Amino acid sequence: MADTFKLKLSGVSSGYGAVDVVNGVSLAIRPGEIFALMGKNGMGKTTLLKTILGFLRGKGTIEVDGAVIADRKPAELIASGIGYAPQELPLFQDLSIRDNLRLALKGDRDLASALERVYGYFPFLKDRLAQKAGTLSGGEQKMLILARALMLRPKLLLIDEISEGLQPSVVQNIAKALRDEREKRGTTILLVEQNLDFALSVADRWAILKLGAIEDESPNGPDSRSRVLQHLKI
Amino acid sequence: MTLFLDVVSTAAILFIVAAGLLAIFGVLKIINFAHGAWLTIGAYCAVVVSGFGLNPWLAIPFAFLIGAILGGVAERFIVRPLYRRPLDAILATWGLGIVIGQLITLWFGRDVQFTPALLPGTFDLFGAGYSAYRLFAIVAAIALGLGFTLLLDGTRLGLSARAVIMNETLARGLGIDTEKVRLTTFMIGTGLAALAGVLLAPLTSVDPNMGVAWLTGAFMLVMVAGSSFGALAVACLIFGAAQVLVSIYFSPILGGITVAVLCAITLRIRPKGFARA
Repeated sequence: MADTFKLKLSGVSSGYGAVDVVNGVSLAIRPGEIFALMGKNGMGKTTLLKTILGFLRGKGTIEVDGAVIADRKPAELIASGIGYAPQELPLFQDLSIRDNLRLALKGDRDLASALERVYGYFPFLKDRLAQKAGTLSGGEQKMLILARALMLRPKLLLIDEISEGLQPSVVQNIAKALRDEREKRGTTILLVEQNLDFALSVADRWAILKLGAIEDESPNGPDSRSRVLQHLKI
Repeated sequence: MTLFLDVVSTAAILFIVAAGLLAIFGVLKIINFAHGAWLTIGAYCAVVVSGFGLNPWLAIPFAFLIGAILGGVAERFIVRPLYRRPLDAILATWGLGIVIGQLITLWFGRDVQFTPALLPGTFDLFGAGYSAYRLFAIVAAIALGLGFTLLLDGTRLGLSARAVIMNETLARGLGIDTEKVRLTTFMIGTGLAALAGVLLAPLTSVDPNMGVAWLTGAFMLVMVAGSSFGALAVACLIFGAAQVLVSIYFSPILGGITVAVLCAITLRIRPKGFARA
């Protein structure tokens, strides 16, 4: 019997206009796996996430649970259980924390239970629901972004450089939330990162993206750090 | 007291006329230059209702419904393909306004028509009699403002609309169906424009081009207000007051262009108008 993958990319290429930023990427991530995709700036990591979510159209095949998801709108993909924690302009700064979290759900019916669940990961949210998101510190904003992505109980979670610019204690908080979410719900996570310590602290497998193509890929093991450093050194 | 009521009721009428235009501009980021045509459609709905001998108040829901349905059709087939080309969308809605004006002329003729007073007579306020209908306009504007506040702050549609206004890309990234939000907003905006047409009809005469005269002022007020209904209310009060004062103390003709001129000066000094950001 063929392996079943939560997310499978086969020869995916995409970019902006005539220029391909992602060039023939093939990846397969198993259910419940945390997969770290690392690489320097401008290598196509964010572009690949946007292509998976349908914001960019490209070539190749993208499958979720064995079903091809080409030509589906981002709204449909997210409603089908793909969570997304974006790096660029990730919050509605003038909306309250509560409204930012509400927007992750289609309606308010499950709001109370979803809020209780994310309070478990990030308790500070509970007492500050009315506060505007733009007034939170950088680390708190990142935790809110992740909390919002978790509101929908995603089966597949795509996270874009969540640890960027954060102090170690906040990064540890986020790492714990990701591990817990995987343990409790079997959530599959594709983590795009440049912080290799954080990525390797949670990932089961990793890959390096260089100039839009996979340069190296491996299960996370004792030699991962040195191998990744080799790829990421300037 | 009369002067104060003139100012407030003029501001209220300006707010009612511009509210639909602002709703569309706020979410869709385009100016619906057919807004004046929808005002005219609303006024002719009042003509039709009175022509059938029905209660003139029925024109309000009737016009809102007709305006919203026609707005939905226009959004789907004319505006939606042009969201990424806002200049073309402006030209298309301008052209649409001309077409609607001509169709109304074909159907109803060029003759000026009148609708019955929705609320005749005067109302005693602090010892002075004042037009009951202009007082009703103040109440209607306040109700409209509160309705919008409730819609934006108290409903899922309002929350989605605010999200689209603030950051459409992120809204799509959260799975919000931005096409549906735009369609619904356009329908609400055109429905409100038609409703404004019904409310204007007893104050003025009804003819196929009546909306054009109101479009310029409404457009300038929306430019000053940005995408905030609070800022629109403030702009209507300030510029409405100026219009009344210029009309009384200088000339009604100058008063007619006061709103547009002052809005232009405001935008020259403060390009973002009354908007915070």
